[in-house]
Amino acid sequence: MMSKRLMLLVTGALALVPLSSAHADQLQDIKKKGELVCGVLGTDEPFSFIQNPASRAIVGYDVDLCNAVAKSLGVKTTLKQLAVSARIPELQQGRVDLLAASLTHNKEREALIDFSLSTFITGQKVMVKKQSGITRLDQLAGKKVLTVKGSTMEQSIKKAVPTAVIVSFDNSPQAFLALQQGKGVAYVNDETSLIDDASKLGPVAKDYEILPQNLSTEHFALGLKKGESAFREQVNKVLRDLEASGEAEKLFTRWFGPATKMKFPNRPFKLETDKID
Amino acid sequence: MNSFDVSMLLSGQYHDWLVSGFALSIKLTLITLVIALPLALLVAVLRLAPLALLRAVGVVFVEAIRNVPLLAHMLFWYFGAPEVLPESLKAWLYERDVEAASAVIALVLYTAAYMSEDIRSGIRSIPKEQMEASRALGFSFLGAMRLVILPQALRVTVPPLIGQTLSLWKNTSIAMVIGVAELMYQAQQVESASFRGFESFAFATGAYLMISLVITGASAWYHHHHPVRSA
Repeated sequence: MMSKRLMLLVTGALALVPLSSAHADQLQDIKKKGELVCGVLGTDEPFSFIQNPASRAIVGYDVDLCNAVAKSLGVKTTLKQLAVSARIPELQQGRVDLLAASLTHNKEREALIDFSLSTFITGQKVMVKKQSGITRLDQLAGKKVLTVKGSTMEQSIKKAVPTAVIVSFDNSPQAFLALQQGKGVAYVNDETSLIDDASKLGPVAKDYEILPQNLSTEHFALGLKKGESAFREQVNKVLRDLEASGEAEKLFTRWFGPATKMKFPNRPFKLETDKID
Repeated sequence: MNSFDVSMLLSGQYHDWLVSGFALSIKLTLITLVIALPLALLVAVLRLAPLALLRAVGVVFVEAIRNVPLLAHMLFWYFGAPEVLPESLKAWLYERDVEAASAVIALVLYTAAYMSEDIRSGIRSIPKEQMEASRALGFSFLGAMRLVILPQALRVTVPPLIGQTLSLWKNTSIAMVIGVAELMYQAQQVESASFRGFESFAFATGAYLMISLVITGASAWYHHHHPVRSA
């Protein structure tokens, strides 16, 4: 709420500042200056984070996407670390050319900036104990489902399984503990949190399973300044080429695959659409 | 935010949630009261029993419970205690409303500890010569308690017990931490679903206030009609 208000304030103030020169075409400008400035978070593993504290270099899935766009233009990548709330204003002011910052594509933001194809699609999911024998959402009908209070999770599970008995707790460790103790058959959270929770269990984690169905989906995308259609087309072309060449799959496996902490068994999406629910 | 939307409190889904939470809060209060009162009486008598061992049991019960916050009791009876039960019993329990059951256990013990102290004070307000006289007349300890001391003591104890009932009514709100869908829980649910926090908490506040005033009124009524007589 606060950050949104702040953002509006900043963008409002900026609208009063006349632009020094009308940008004919951002794509040409990037080529001319020889660098693509990407705004990243740098704090959100594995999207963009500092892997090796000694080098302080920011790496990650978002960074690799940025590099791919820069490479296609024959320019170098310059990363700029941004705070979450600063992402959209920095883009609008032209201090960054492209946002690769775990940015969720939603309808409210479409009024402010443009989005590339979705680069990562995740969602709220359900975790169960393997011994429960539950493999599909509809098997949760009439059963106790645990989640966190005040979240959109309660609404999504209610929508997916209207007869489920939802028991909510103050925080996710409590809800997860209740699942471990068997006080409900399922625990709902967003997928990355579920994976993180399970990883804390150590060897016992193998007794738990995340159901493949999404309760709701969240689309991450690259953010672009509004109205730069040539640049946007270029970025989307790069993403489509990554998909076609199999490079997108490799990138996903590198940051989210079985050998990583995230341990996604497979990629549940493709770089092909900018439609959101 | 937007203007205060009374209509959502009067009908519709959110109204239903809030009313069901209100009903559950009242149910928790009544069930707890019915179990806690006799338990409190038992503990109070234990603390005055002629046997040192019995007195010790009473002291341990009261002190162990009163010196731990109700929130900790709730979490203990929900997350901790049931885990030591045998596997089959645990599975049976967890399929049922273990949340509400744990909340009732925590509330009963907590309320009984406080009520037993009020009852004990009531008993001690009866001059000890009455007990001595009863025993001299051949009553047993329990007989003297039942026929001579308690009838007088309980009358003195009613106003503080009503006070404890008022605390109990408000304490039911703590049950939300273990997922019991009482009034505060539902108020939060409505807020997160509709962003109508102002309306939902106004409903909850109004409901707590209303019942609290009824309980306070009962205390005043009792005091007026049954004034404390000097023994």
